[in-house]
Amino acid sequence: MSSPLRSPLPSQDGADQPRAGSDLRLSVEQVSYAYSSNPSQAPRFTLEALSFQAKPGEIVAILGPNACGKSTLLRLISGELQPMSGRIFLNGFETHTLPAKTRAQRIAMVQQESRLLFPSRAWEFVLQGRHPYGRGLRFENSDDVLIAENALAQTGASHLTDRWMDKISGGEKQRIILARALAQQPLLLLLDEPTLHLDIGAQVDLLASLKRLAAENRYTVVVVTHELNLVGEYADQVVLLQKGKCLRVGPPATVYQRELLEQVFQAPLSVEMTPSGRPRVTLFSKT
Amino acid sequence: MLGNISHSSRQGRFVPRFRCKSGLRAILLVFALLFLRAEKITAQANAANPSAAQPTHEVVDEVNRTVRVPLVPMRIVSLAPNLTETVYALGLQDRLVGDTDYCDYPPEAQKKPKVGGAINPNLEQIAALRPDLVLVTKDLNRLDTVRALDTLGIPSYSTDAAHTIDGIISSTEKLADILGAAQAGKVVGDDLHHRLATLQEKLRSVPATHVLFVVWTEPLISAGRNTFIADALRKAGAISIVDSTQDWPQMSLEEVVHLQPDYLVFAAAHAAEGTRDFEALVNRPGWHLLDAVRNRHYAVISDAVNRPAPRIISAIEDLARQLHPASFQDSRSPEKEIVPTNSTSPAHHPRAALFTPDSFGGACLTESACAL
Amino acid sequence: MRPLTLERLLLRCGLLALILFGVVVVSLKMGAVQVSLYGLGRDLIQVLLGRSSAISTDYGMIVLDIRLPRILLGIVVGASLSVAGASFQALLRNPLADPYVLGISSGAALGAIIALIAETHMAISPELAGLITPFGAFIGAAVTIAAVYLLGMRDGQIESSTLLLGGIISASFLSAVIMFLMTTLSGSNLRGTAFWMMGDLSTPQPKSLLYLVGIGFVVAAGAIYTTSSDLNLLLAGEKEAMHLGVEVSRVRIVVYIAASLLTGLAVSVSGTIGYVGLLVPHVMRLIWGSDHRMLIPASALGGAIALVVADTLARTVTAPSELSVGAMTAMAGAPLFIYLLRRRIA
Repeated sequence: MSSPLRSPLPSQDGADQPRAGSDLRLSVEQVSYAYSSNPSQAPRFTLEALSFQAKPGEIVAILGPNACGKSTLLRLISGELQPMSGRIFLNGFETHTLPAKTRAQRIAMVQQESRLLFPSRAWEFVLQGRHPYGRGLRFENSDDVLIAENALAQTGASHLTDRWMDKISGGEKQRIILARALAQQPLLLLLDEPTLHLDIGAQVDLLASLKRLAAENRYTVVVVTHELNLVGEYADQVVLLQKGKCLRVGPPATVYQRELLEQVFQAPLSVEMTPSGRPRVTLFSKT
Repeated sequence: MLGNISHSSRQGRFVPRFRCKSGLRAILLVFALLFLRAEKITAQANAANPSAAQPTHEVVDEVNRTVRVPLVPMRIVSLAPNLTETVYALGLQDRLVGDTDYCDYPPEAQKKPKVGGAINPNLEQIAALRPDLVLVTKDLNRLDTVRALDTLGIPSYSTDAAHTIDGIISSTEKLADILGAAQAGKVVGDDLHHRLATLQEKLRSVPATHVLFVVWTEPLISAGRNTFIADALRKAGAISIVDSTQDWPQMSLEEVVHLQPDYLVFAAAHAAEGTRDFEALVNRPGWHLLDAVRNRHYAVISDAVNRPAPRIISAIEDLARQLHPASFQDSRSPEKEIVPTNSTSPAHHPRAALFTPDSFGGACLTESACAL
Repeated sequence: MRPLTLERLLLRCGLLALILFGVVVVSLKMGAVQVSLYGLGRDLIQVLLGRSSAISTDYGMIVLDIRLPRILLGIVVGASLSVAGASFQALLRNPLADPYVLGISSGAALGAIIALIAETHMAISPELAGLITPFGAFIGAAVTIAAVYLLGMRDGQIESSTLLLGGIISASFLSAVIMFLMTTLSGSNLRGTAFWMMGDLSTPQPKSLLYLVGIGFVVAAGAIYTTSSDLNLLLAGEKEAMHLGVEVSRVRIVVYIAASLLTGLAVSVSGTIGYVGLLVPHVMRLIWGSDHRMLIPASALGGAIALVVADTLARTVTAPSELSVGAMTAMAGAPLFIYLLRRRIA
């Protein structure tokens, strides 16, 4: 299927007015965040100021060990959290100032798992992605149906269209969730640890699909993960975090330095370059 | 099939155009018209009520409602057992066209058409009987029922909650007036007063017996001092050890043991039931601490004592006889064997022999009673 | 892929409305007293056409003044409770939620009891007298709604699990207070209270109250219906709903207030009738799925049908005595609930 999912019409709130440097899709500028459960206490967690940029069609990986602030950064980008300092621009608009519906037309988030209270069919689920395009009470029209069908096809899940969500495997569910995100026709696709519950084959499938989709539909994809080799193979940019601090931003070949990675992941490893110019990391056991 | 939905933009804005919709509107319009006319129709239906043809007058009932009732009600519905009994006592039962499921005295009352319970009577049944007066009492019926009758245009007269025996008698006389039978009311009232006066005479020189009136055993519930039952006890030469202002206070057994009543008094539909209630207590823990239980000093009277109606006087008389038999030695009352009340022998006969058939509604309770 | 269309929605609602109409006609006919609907219908038409000025038949009064208002009350109450139940199930993300889970019924009962007690101590004009108890019940419900709302807030927004906890705690507390008050009440007050709490449609309510409840239903159910798409998404998860453009806190507030209003109004005029708000949404879900654009209207109509049927059975099965409608819904509801439970597990 090669029909693009992008609507050629302008979005609902008027024409996009990008800032200068219009090649840039996503721009994170000196963004920091602090979180404390008790306002009078010192913050329990901080994300120090960091910046990076991404173009359409790129895959950015936010990489790091547990509790380094990856998910927090993703939530800042998605507009769910407001940065303490700094700004995040998507095509020139600050993400957290956008109204919820508009934001949902531009940013799609793929969570790890979906807890459904009452079971629904896959197509119902995917159609939910069309929700941002309508006001109040709406019924889906034929365009929505077409877009949803396309989304399912793009993720290779057309054969699952009529299946019940609670009766399919984890990998299949992941594809449906991705399809719903695609149905939103976003500019930015965010994924939070999407490979956690998948087997290796499915993991590779997912990343390969993301790469293809990003290229075909000009998405910017931001993936939070700790899978070193998947990132090394598929990402265009890596943002390396440790304990709330950004240690390096750049293409994998630049970021994957042995000493740096060993320091971050606290494990002996070696890095080698493959013929395609991508780094590969081999972990050793700690003896 | 039914029409087509058109949409104005690719984003699925919801703008339907339906042939069916205009049909829907038409149906809604018809319903609205019917509804509005229905108001007028129901008002007219009420006006066609035949009871409006009778001569009526305004009275104030015992709960201070001003109601318009017929001068002589001919189709009476009673929504409380005590009111049904009163109607029979006044000899007006031919005018009673309906009563509740619980109206069981006199036995003929059970044959009257039933309208349901006292608390939730069936309004349709009442309406179908076309009454010109419905009798209610504050003791038993709900305000909602009275209001419902008002809405339907059916007049209702309410007696007040009874608190004293004299109050019951005057209530009976007032009710007789309302029912257009003032003479019968006077006769009944005078008779009741006379009997009470006679009783007072007989008990004048006798000290009152301390009693506990047992409404329920688990938990132990008695009657408070403002109830008509407490007044009935007083008229019978007894005094309740319960002094609470609550109508149905829960007593602690300790308290009762401390107060040591001379007698326990039970009310039951049949004498055997009352005896059974007592026997059940004898072996219960704690109860044997009561002198009255060990000495088998208990009295059983008819459950007429629970109903504020003329029959309560019989129950009072019966209780008086059981508690103070000495005062009645010279009377012409029908009972034969007067067993002394303060015998402490455990092989003492059960007290069934003293129950007068009257107060229990004419049933034969024991062999000795049947032999009368 | 067959998404819900307006056409399909209206067709299904039309079907339910037709069933409701049939149930109403049958209920008008049934009762402790035999009536001939044909004769009544004939008379009605005569009056409508202006040819005669009054219903001449006896049963006119019975059908129009007693049965019809009761059936209409049943329709509004049944619809209100079912829509409220469906809404709370979505709002609290809990299939066991019913309109009373947040303590509204206990608050209303307490208000009604206090009103009953006050009524006997005050002299009230007859026009107002019929309104005191429902008014008291509604105030009780409103206070409870506000209190539970405040209890359910966390970080400035109401949150499902906190709301549920706050509601259950309130319900327990209020029930205890009610028990206590009931031990201090005397005879007729006590009976009235116990009867009210069982749920009862048999008391004709003042017309003004009926209109109020009807209008309240239209407004509140309408408000909930406009959030149906949002509710569908909310069921998938609050974070996900937010990422799909749902203003979660606004939707929560609207649904909470509207559903509580529906419950408060229903309970004020009919006491606490159980099982309807819990089971009707589940049955409708079994038939037509959990898309709220269909579920809300289906629950409303289904609830109306269920309650009218239950009430009609309650007043005919043991004629001339009446069962309380709450007892009827419990007797039918409990086995149905068990069946539904087993189905979900199986």
